[in-house]
Amino acid sequence: MDCHNEECSRPQEEEDIMDIPLDDPEANRAAAKIQAGFRGHMTRKKMKPEDKAEGEERQEDRGQ
Amino acid sequence: MAPKKDPKAPAKKAEPAPAPAPAAPEPAPAPAAPAVDLSAVKVEFSADQIEDYREAFGLFDRVGDSKVAYNQIADIMRALGQNPTNKEVNKLLGNPTADDMVTKRVDFEGFLPMLQTIINSPNKAGFEDYVEGLRVFDKEGNGTVMGAELRIVLSTLGEKMTEAEIDSLMAGQEDENGCVNYEGKPQITTS
Repeated sequence: MDCHNEECSRPQEEEDIMDIPLDDPEANRAAAKIQAGFRGHMTRKKMKPEDKAEGEERQEDRGQ
Repeated sequence: MAPKKDPKAPAKKAEPAPAPAPAAPEPAPAPAAPAVDLSAVKVEFSADQIEDYREAFGLFDRVGDSKVAYNQIADIMRALGQNPTNKEVNKLLGNPTADDMVTKRVDFEGFLPMLQTIINSPNKAGFEDYVEGLRVFDKEGNGTVMGAELRIVLSTLGEKMTEAEIDSLMAGQEDENGCVNYEGKPQITTS
């Protein structure tokens, strides 16, 4: 306990990790929307340079 | 001797009303997400749109049978500008098993009402919704989220993303403090 007075450079993430609201439906809904948007964006980004048949080759396994 | 019929018939008990059968079978519990009735969906695309969609659909047909596998449907929709959640797509496909996702296929005519349903979805999110969504995780309310926290959120909540997906996504998004600015500048774009 050396640093009482000053701010320790303790990473904030450690506390945040414990705050992740795993069971909160609202947070899960927000997360799912964000993820859907990101996935859409990433798929479109991947498709852009290759307009042709190569679009199929990078199909990731989406067996969810 | 005349057989006496006992007026009180001992055999039958006079029951006022038949007792209801106690073991009424319970209705089966409703499935988690009731399947969408695709035959009821009115497809309202223009001829041009249909041609565009047909072309995109064709790109995903690896087998050459003019169909695509269930597990490609979400990606085709994304390629066409939509952002369906995996849950929405599963609902459209009638909650398929993992095996179905790989083995079952849909033809273009079957795909169109699915796409129409997603396009018609009232829950569609615009850019503001993503900002609002990220704001939920903005502890300090200052328009940034910690990159590390965002990574954890994306991998543990909602429709979990893999590390590879998250890496692609986060590439170049974090500033020198490891923060991601989600307001104002649409860095995390969805178009």
